[in-house]
Amino acid sequence: MDALIAEKVTSGYGRSPIVRDVSITVAAGMITAIVGPNGAGKSTFAKTLAGILRPTSGKIVVNDTDITHVAGHLIPRYGLAYVPQNDNVFRTLTVRENLEVGGYASKKDPRTRMSEIFEIFPDLARADDKKAGNLSGGQQNLLAMARALMAEPTVIVLDEPTAGLSPAYTDVVWRQVELIAKQGTAVLVIEQNVERALTHAQFVNVLVAGANHVHGPVDEIAKLDLGGIFLGRDQTAQDLPADI
Amino acid sequence: MTELFLAIGFGLVIASVLALSAVGLSLQFGITNYINFAYGDFMAVGAYIAWTLNTGPMHWNIWVSMIAGGVSVGILAVLLNRFLLAPFARKFQKLFYILIVTFGLSLVLLNLVSSVWGTEVQRYSISNESPFHVGPFLFTIDELVVVAIAIVAMLLIHFMLTRTRLGKSMRAMSDNSTLAMTSGIDTGRITTLTWFLSGLLAGIGGTVLGITQASITPGSGETFLFVIFAAVIVGGVGSIYGAMVGAVIVGLATEVAALFIDPSYKLDIAFAILILALLFRPNGLFARPGKA
Repeated sequence: MDALIAEKVTSGYGRSPIVRDVSITVAAGMITAIVGPNGAGKSTFAKTLAGILRPTSGKIVVNDTDITHVAGHLIPRYGLAYVPQNDNVFRTLTVRENLEVGGYASKKDPRTRMSEIFEIFPDLARADDKKAGNLSGGQQNLLAMARALMAEPTVIVLDEPTAGLSPAYTDVVWRQVELIAKQGTAVLVIEQNVERALTHAQFVNVLVAGANHVHGPVDEIAKLDLGGIFLGRDQTAQDLPADI
Repeated sequence: MTELFLAIGFGLVIASVLALSAVGLSLQFGITNYINFAYGDFMAVGAYIAWTLNTGPMHWNIWVSMIAGGVSVGILAVLLNRFLLAPFARKFQKLFYILIVTFGLSLVLLNLVSSVWGTEVQRYSISNESPFHVGPFLFTIDELVVVAIAIVAMLLIHFMLTRTRLGKSMRAMSDNSTLAMTSGIDTGRITTLTWFLSGLLAGIGGTVLGITQASITPGSGETFLFVIFAAVIVGGVGSIYGAMVGAVIVGLATEVAALFIDPSYKLDIAFAILILALLFRPNGLFARPGKA
């Protein structure tokens, strides 16, 4: 079942669109990755899904509900959680307070959910009274994910969750991402590292110059010359059908 | 020695007035990220509404008048934000423009207060009981009530910020408003409530300033604004607890210094503290990332 469907979404800053007619589907329990060169519009697209930017055209559907025009602060209540690449924790709040704030979008008792979250992220349980700003970069990324999960989303959008992390911590973060998907959540990951995306995701979307270039199952995408597509050398890729 | 204790005692009273006012200014700054230069005039509006209720035909008790003045300024602050400041802040991203707007608003409010209530010095109708000793300090009953109001207000604000959903949402929004919004916090509602609280504290601050100074004029809040700035900057811009500590430091320092120099230079002492803080600790005692 598709938990998130974005159809021909166009958005950007001011009057100039950064992403144009981008479509994507994310299935429950699966990891879908968006890859592409710098400036392809990956983060802009993620911000549009989260309600930070408004689409000028297109449609965004979460769990069969059209959220295209829903106020940004209500989007988590419809089941979509977003974890930005930078500034993704409330630095002056403790770990526990960060999680509490994440639970505001849920009707469930935050204490029950927090216990479940601490079981998934034992490192955070040990640092629950620490200010989030005092955590390491990797721990902050885990806390950001944990905070997003407090509202029990059906879709989680992660914008480069491993950017700037050591290889060891990158593994830790990806293990958590896989665990989140295994529990039935639809995961959409914006990823700069193509190898990582091809290793962990089941579906991959390649975004080039703000538009869908190609998308499909990871095995099919792996056969393509992604380097060429990123650099604009592989013009044949432009003619591939949207669904392989 | 007696004079020193007298100065410390009155310093605590001024610190209480400062704490109420500085926390209100800091709360609003934390959420909107710009300084409201009309804050001193908000204080004057509150002081005059309280004066009207206190000395007019209704003859309300000064403390009830103070609350009514505070609530009125809270509502005024919400309306001014909704219809004037927020539209400007949305339209012009540069902080400079919104600062100019608050300057303009300050002038409008100052002239409005002058035309509605006049420019002559006014006084509240309060009992003129003799001061009495509390340990080595000397207070009037009204001064003690002002100190008690400030302590209760600070405790309530601490409780709100650390124990309630509203307070945690305010702190989250002050930290990162976009992240707060995407986490499900209704940032528009929190902004409105913050303006109300800021206005409420400005109105109460303006009235207790009038009580402790035994006079109110249209410009008294505006003059006091620079002392508030000193407290806020010493404590750390945007930090609520910093504003509380800054208020105590500036309040005590200005009153104790008046023992050694001409008391008419009190405002200059606050300025000197402000300049020293900017030179040696520009982020204040409780620096907040991205808020200086």
